Amino acid sequence: MRRISFWIATFVLCWVAANWAHGAELRIPQNATAGQSLTIGAGAGGTLYLVGPGQVIKRKVQGGEDVQISGDELRNAGRWIAIVRGGGGDQSQVFWVRPGKAENVNFLARPSRVPVNKPGVISGVAFVFDKSQNLVLDPTKVNFSLSVGSAHAEHTATSSNGVAWVTSSSAPKAGAAQFVASLPDVQVRRVIEQVASDPCNLKMKVIQREKGKVTVETDPVRDCTGNAVPDGTIVTFTQTDSTGRSVVDARIKKGIARAQLPAEPNARISVASGVVLGNEIRLGGGQ
Amino acid sequence: MRLVRILILTIGIAVAISGGLPLAKRGLSVVRAAVGDSKPEVQLNVTNARPREVEESTQQSIIRDYGRAWQGMGTALANNQMGPLNENFTGFALDKLKQRVKDQQQNGLTTRVIDRGHKLDAVFYSQDGSAIEVRDTATVETQVLEGQTLIHSDEAQVHYYAVLTGAEDRWKVRVLESSEK
Repeated sequence: MRRISFWIATFVLCWVAANWAHGAELRIPQNATAGQSLTIGAGAGGTLYLVGPGQVIKRKVQGGEDVQISGDELRNAGRWIAIVRGGGGDQSQVFWVRPGKAENVNFLARPSRVPVNKPGVISGVAFVFDKSQNLVLDPTKVNFSLSVGSAHAEHTATSSNGVAWVTSSSAPKAGAAQFVASLPDVQVRRVIEQVASDPCNLKMKVIQREKGKVTVETDPVRDCTGNAVPDGTIVTFTQTDSTGRSVVDARIKKGIARAQLPAEPNARISVASGVVLGNEIRLGGGQ
Repeated sequence: MRLVRILILTIGIAVAISGGLPLAKRGLSVVRAAVGDSKPEVQLNVTNARPREVEESTQQSIIRDYGRAWQGMGTALANNQMGPLNENFTGFALDKLKQRVKDQQQNGLTTRVIDRGHKLDAVFYSQDGSAIEVRDTATVETQVLEGQTLIHSDEAQVHYYAVLTGAEDRWKVRVLESSEK
């Protein structure tokens, strides 16, 4: 009988001690998420410090009391350290906070100005963040759309390590293209100016010839998909004759470039813009 | 009898050296971390970088600037100074670290980061070369002090995800986030 009492008393004592020890432990849930509240068992009490990647939270706690950390306070995802000082001695524990759900996108669209009809020249990069600007590392679907006028292209990319990207060709039509990266609840818009490409079928003709001068003029300058090459683009007229060479760099105005050259007999006039060569005119014997 | 004495003496010296050397090494690293002059060792693997290959000169710059950033962060957290952060961080990473320093100051805490090296794996390098993301396996010892009293210490291998973007004369860390995975 005495022996049974001894064992029962030992068991009860151990159970009470274990319970007391457990109550004095620092208890942190293992599924903490940034932006969501968290309850911490602060053990014997004292001062609780939560040292996070981008913040420190301090609380005075009574022994055995649970501490509530609100979602607004717990903003940073990553590795945290919980430290309790005082009470039954110092205790510390490392715990992890995961990022919240994807709610923000940082969208880089390059370049800001691009020639039309070029394959793979536009790149869009989306970094996916939660509402507290933590990088969301879980795969997330990001929708990219590029539209100019009636032309519209759409791609969906799944983020890896917090980043999703696409490359796209520029549309055949010039204009301000809307490049949008979107999550279900957020859209970020960038504008990419699609401009006419190099001139195509560059042609000129003589429009006036008098008093030893000849005036040449191009047809409206367009790229290969029919977009007008922007005003200000340089068109070079070169005249070669028995006296040497004359060069005139003229800017396109209202879609046309024009130049006045000396009317030398048997002169040859050529036209070019950038690396694109146009037609050539041969002037008659001083007529 | 003499032989036994010599044997005991030799064992004693061996025990003292085996215990003393790591202690001295640890003490030295703590002192170096406290003054913030420990340049961490950084290794970079670029075989997984997409969609663009990382140029040799960019690799060298990343190794140099990421190491500087950690050095700066160590100094900032050990001394509660903002200066070293402004030089090496930008965007969200800068905002968060500044807030951490401010909170540490308010609560009388400092953090010693004893950096034992970084193995970087470039996972993304943007087409235009303006942003790079690396996954870092860092070996760090973290000590939290309240005044001069050490209240927490741990050494662990921690995974970080860092996004760096090109700035005026260097790469700056724009995102720095540790992850359990």
